[in-house]
Amino acid sequence: MKILTPIKLTLDISQLKYESSGEPLIDIAPRKIGDSDKCAIEEAVRLKEKHNAYTVAVTVGSGPEHERIIRDAYAMGIDEGYIVEVKEYENLQAITIGEIIASLAKKTGPYDLIILGAGSLDTHSYTLGPIIASKIGVPIIAGVDSLSYNDGVFEARCVMEDGTYTYRVSPPIVVTVTTEANEPRIPTLKTILRSKKMEIKKLTAEDLGIELKRIEIEELKRYVVQRKKIIWDAGEDLEKAIENLVRVLTSEV
Amino acid sequence: MDFEFSEDEVRFRESVQEFCKRYIEPRWVEIDERGRIPLDLIKKMGEQGLFAIPVSEEYGGVGGTITMAAIAAEEIAYHDPSVATAVYTLLNNGWPLLVERYSREDVKKEILPKVAGGEAFYGIASTESHGGSDVAGIKTTAVKKNNVWIVNGEKTYISGIREIQELAEGGGYFLVAKTGKPEYGHRNITAFNLIVRWNGKTRQGWKPTIFEEIGRRGISTGGFILEDFEIDDKYRIGEENKGFYYLMEGFNVARILVAAATIGSGRWALDQAIEWIKNRKLFEGRPLASFQAVSFRLSELYGELEAARLLTYRAAWLADKIYIQKDPKWKEKDLNIPVALCKMKAPEATTKIYEELMKWYGAYAYTKDCNAFRGWLGTFSYTIGAEGAQNIMRIIIARDLIGREYVKG
Repeated sequence: MKILTPIKLTLDISQLKYESSGEPLIDIAPRKIGDSDKCAIEEAVRLKEKHNAYTVAVTVGSGPEHERIIRDAYAMGIDEGYIVEVKEYENLQAITIGEIIASLAKKTGPYDLIILGAGSLDTHSYTLGPIIASKIGVPIIAGVDSLSYNDGVFEARCVMEDGTYTYRVSPPIVVTVTTEANEPRIPTLKTILRSKKMEIKKLTAEDLGIELKRIEIEELKRYVVQRKKIIWDAGEDLEKAIENLVRVLTSEV
Repeated sequence: MDFEFSEDEVRFRESVQEFCKRYIEPRWVEIDERGRIPLDLIKKMGEQGLFAIPVSEEYGGVGGTITMAAIAAEEIAYHDPSVATAVYTLLNNGWPLLVERYSREDVKKEILPKVAGGEAFYGIASTESHGGSDVAGIKTTAVKKNNVWIVNGEKTYISGIREIQELAEGGGYFLVAKTGKPEYGHRNITAFNLIVRWNGKTRQGWKPTIFEEIGRRGISTGGFILEDFEIDDKYRIGEENKGFYYLMEGFNVARILVAAATIGSGRWALDQAIEWIKNRKLFEGRPLASFQAVSFRLSELYGELEAARLLTYRAAWLADKIYIQKDPKWKEKDLNIPVALCKMKAPEATTKIYEELMKWYGAYAYTKDCNAFRGWLGTFSYTIGAEGAQNIMRIIIARDLIGREYVKG
């Protein structure tokens, strides 16, 4: 079994600092592998331990921080890592990243499983997994919180609002996992030291035959909660106030 | 000159932080309250490679450095500011290094992998009831008969007494005992691997007792009597009658790690203080932080902690030159002053931070709802003098500055 795990360098939001105005200080925020991507690595490494799978990680970008997250993946147990070096990584959208990863998968594959985080910590678009699957032309199971492999079939469970879905699919497939999937292992000093000695393979978008499309975002609007600020004076007529409150609450649902 | 940690050290620190956030921080109050580090946590720490960090992989260690052990002690103490878990960790990092350095090959292979894996505890048994600072004056004796040493005596204020009895494997101590004529003073001391419980079986002649302590309650402290306790000569550490020197080497390494642990706890206290003074408002809504009497004091305390931290990592850096890189430019005794400086400054800087934090908290600090007292009492153990009394540190430094003839021990 061969597994590809695309990983993304994202903001470590647990260490995000803010201006007094409430604006996050993005530029100085530390970066790390996204939380659900880490769960994807953990799933890949568990399959490696159980089914002798060969695991590959890939990230798109350039610079020491991208090298570091590949080394972090090595320290968790990944066997081989690629960086597709792209300048101005920040300007690339999921559609282009998806093309790059699909192309790398074709070049270095075939893979039985491509597994990644369902959504990244920063953009949370949840689109990368489906884009990769459509570019390669394999099924996708998105938002998986439990994955196993028996007798040549993957079994994946997704907890949705209307119930729990269990899928059984033969490889090759793409799976995106949530942070509920597992508790990722923490690299030990031994694996950190070992990861330093491992080679990181580097490719460019041109090597993969990808023409970079820059899609500019015109505007990004933050979701703002609009409070209605309706106040009833319960001191005058408590029963009436409760009645009004219940009426408004039920009409809002 | 380079004041940056290496990439390996940064990544290791992050991995320890992640481990601590997941497994130690949620339990630290319980650890202090119940007076024990859960055995499952010790096992996890062993699996994570937090013990025997500077010990070679050949003996089951991690193959890291003393700086890395200091990083682990600092971060663990930040997440358990009572420092119990950090002290457990640092004992099982510092003393195993001495075992590797001076013990016989088969003994190293017998003891060290179990300590590294968290199955056995390895600490230090030096202090006796007449006073821990007077090492040369110890009264425990070891007499050699055929190839076996018969040890008699009493050790007190010893860490890990209960843990040795509860861990699956057991454990032991770096023991020092008199092996010749008393008038030879410190040149009359031999060091031994005192294995009191192994394979889950307690050895004959070891009579332990456990004390009730006021702080860093998660790790047990007690004492023991040795009554005709037999130690095979193969467990001797280094040469006969040179134990005092090995002990001082061990203390140097352990003191760096103790300093790092108190700094971790001090950092936690400082973070609590910053959070509190920014949010605590009084006198018509003014935050405490807006009073210069508070903010200036905070700056001073931060300066003291940072100074102690620099002294600590400078000592760790030098210890790595000597013990890990084996740089011939440096000798073991070159560590004496840098170590005494960090051990003198770090616990005292942290004690000052706790005192100020608790004053800024006000009456709240005097209740058990506020956990600051746990860090205060835990780290105060090292201001009193665990792992080397503060005034002994001053003697070591003064002897070097003004000459041995002016400074009597």
